Amino acid sequence: MVKPLQSTSVRLAVGYAALFAVSSLLLVGLLWWRAGADFDRWTDAAITADAAEISDQLQDAGVRGAMQAIHVHATNVGKRGVYLLADRALTPLAGNLSVWPEQAAPKPGWYWAQLSRDGAVHNVRLLRTSLAGGLNLFVGRDLGDRAEVSGLIADTLSWAAATALVLGIGGGMLVHRAVLRRVEMINDAATAIARGDLSRRVPFHDGGDAFDRLARTINQILFQIQELVEGVRNTANVVAHDLRTPLAELRARLEELCRARPRDDAVVEEIKQAVADIDRVIGVFNALLRLAEIDSGVRRSAFVPVELAALATEVVELYTPLIEEKRASFIVDAPAGLSVNGDSHLLAQAIGDLVDNAVKYTPRLGAVSLRIAPSIAGYVEIVVADNGPGIADAEKPLVTQRFYRCRETDGEAGIGLGLSIVDAVARLHEGSLSLCDNHPGLKAVLRLPTATSIGAASP
Amino acid sequence: MKILLVEDNDRVAQFVRNGLTEEGHTVDCADNARSGLFLATTASYDAAIIDRMLPDGVDGLQIVESLRRTGNRTPILILSALAEIDDRIRGLRAGGDDYLTKPFAFGELLARVESLVRRSQGTGIRTVLVVADLRMNLLSHKVERSGRPVPLQPREFKLLEFLMRHAEQAVTRAMLLENVWEHHFDPHTNVIDAHVSRLRQKIDDGFSPPLLHTVRGVGYRLGVHG
Repeated sequence: MVKPLQSTSVRLAVGYAALFAVSSLLLVGLLWWRAGADFDRWTDAAITADAAEISDQLQDAGVRGAMQAIHVHATNVGKRGVYLLADRALTPLAGNLSVWPEQAAPKPGWYWAQLSRDGAVHNVRLLRTSLAGGLNLFVGRDLGDRAEVSGLIADTLSWAAATALVLGIGGGMLVHRAVLRRVEMINDAATAIARGDLSRRVPFHDGGDAFDRLARTINQILFQIQELVEGVRNTANVVAHDLRTPLAELRARLEELCRARPRDDAVVEEIKQAVADIDRVIGVFNALLRLAEIDSGVRRSAFVPVELAALATEVVELYTPLIEEKRASFIVDAPAGLSVNGDSHLLAQAIGDLVDNAVKYTPRLGAVSLRIAPSIAGYVEIVVADNGPGIADAEKPLVTQRFYRCRETDGEAGIGLGLSIVDAVARLHEGSLSLCDNHPGLKAVLRLPTATSIGAASP
Repeated sequence: MKILLVEDNDRVAQFVRNGLTEEGHTVDCADNARSGLFLATTASYDAAIIDRMLPDGVDGLQIVESLRRTGNRTPILILSALAEIDDRIRGLRAGGDDYLTKPFAFGELLARVESLVRRSQGTGIRTVLVVADLRMNLLSHKVERSGRPVPLQPREFKLLEFLMRHAEQAVTRAMLLENVWEHHFDPHTNVIDAHVSRLRQKIDDGFSPPLLHTVRGVGYRLGVHG
């Protein structure tokens, strides 16, 4: 029960952290990209300005002026600057490059290129332009600085990203803790209610956030459930009084009539039959009240660990003489040590009802068995089988319905509530009742959660 | 015996009083809690039968509790229209000695009242129970009839013990189920009859006279007189 809940809030927290990390990484990436673009724009602007000035000098003062300008620029800008003026045949005239890099820049235009200078390879941004008089000009900037700057920016940004991630995870854990606590409170109350403590409520603050509103809504539902269950109980009590009392009167009248010893034997017989009828009405009535009580779930509040073997032994011992009267065999396999959390009276009633049915329907010299064994993880199975007529497949889902009785068994005594009660007891214990074919006969399987598996779920 | 009956329903009260009077008992009736408590504290009774739902919303258990608080030990049978398991437990915890739900057969009521009175008159701890030539040793768990040992299963022993403690008294099937088996749920079939007939074979077959008798419409009685 707790596990999926925890994983929900863990998912929520991880999701929050991931979202935070992704968005901060996006932001950092954007910054990095913008910084690089700006740097490139500045570089291009500087190159364009240099080229324009050299071109102006060429027009104003001829080739000598242009060479003078290149010299000044190369000195001012220093090693970062790349300048080269060449004649029509691409023979260098002035600048700080020894060879015209025809391969790197075959035509006028912008280039990203790698140039060897002073025995090292440099990334360079280049502009090749054709000047008046067939001269060619190279102006460039060494991008070593750019790498340095962008490395610095990347460093800073990755620190920022790491910090964001840590903050994201921390925030996620806080969210997880807060959500978990609130959900846990709601879950606690709901579990207590499910166990039959109808007075429990979900705590909430006056603030009125989403959880408080949820808590109030749940409390409203719980209040309605409590009202309903109490209504059922009160109705049962009122019905108990208003129906039992007149029945008691009626029964008393009839019994007194009988005790007055009327001379006519037929009359005595009629009266006795009437008393038996009343007793049957009371039987149905008691069973219905019992069903209502089981269905309301209030008995869960009194659940205790119940050792099934001991309970089964008692039921077996109670029914053994009846089985012997039918000369039927009775195989009992109830190993000690299997317990369920439950109501021992109701469990005894359920096992007793199943054995009662099996004994009723097994033929003379038949075979009845009661087996208790661990089932799928966390469950224990109580299997009661007989080799009587069984129940037709079509009727199996119907027999646990109230007042349903199999067609072939109409002759037998019973009021059609026995299996409904077993089914209700199974559901009360968070288990199930299934009816299978025993080839021939009926095999009833009562599956209940073992005591430990229920215990583990409750904090 | 002198019996107090606190019951507000005239018809049921009359039925119980007539029946008990017919059986030779003296019955005082009260139809509300106040006069019931007054009678119970001023006169001495062998047993009291107290209904739970009394006029003015008073629960008969309040009478039982007040009586027990003042040290009154009169055996009390609680009569009630409330039949849930917890109601019964609450009734016994409040100080009631037995609990019977409405509607009931008069035979059931009579058997229970007589059983209560007998139990309250029980003198000390007994180690041997004797009915005619049937002897039960409660320490060694041995049973013999006419000096011949009768081997019994543990539950048969408990069944016979209950019958012998109520020798010459009618006991009902419901009483046996409640007192001999721990979980008194409703067996739909006549399981108790099967147990009794098995016990009867062991203690009566081959012996004379028969000791375990069927009382029509009520249950069983262990005793010399059929």
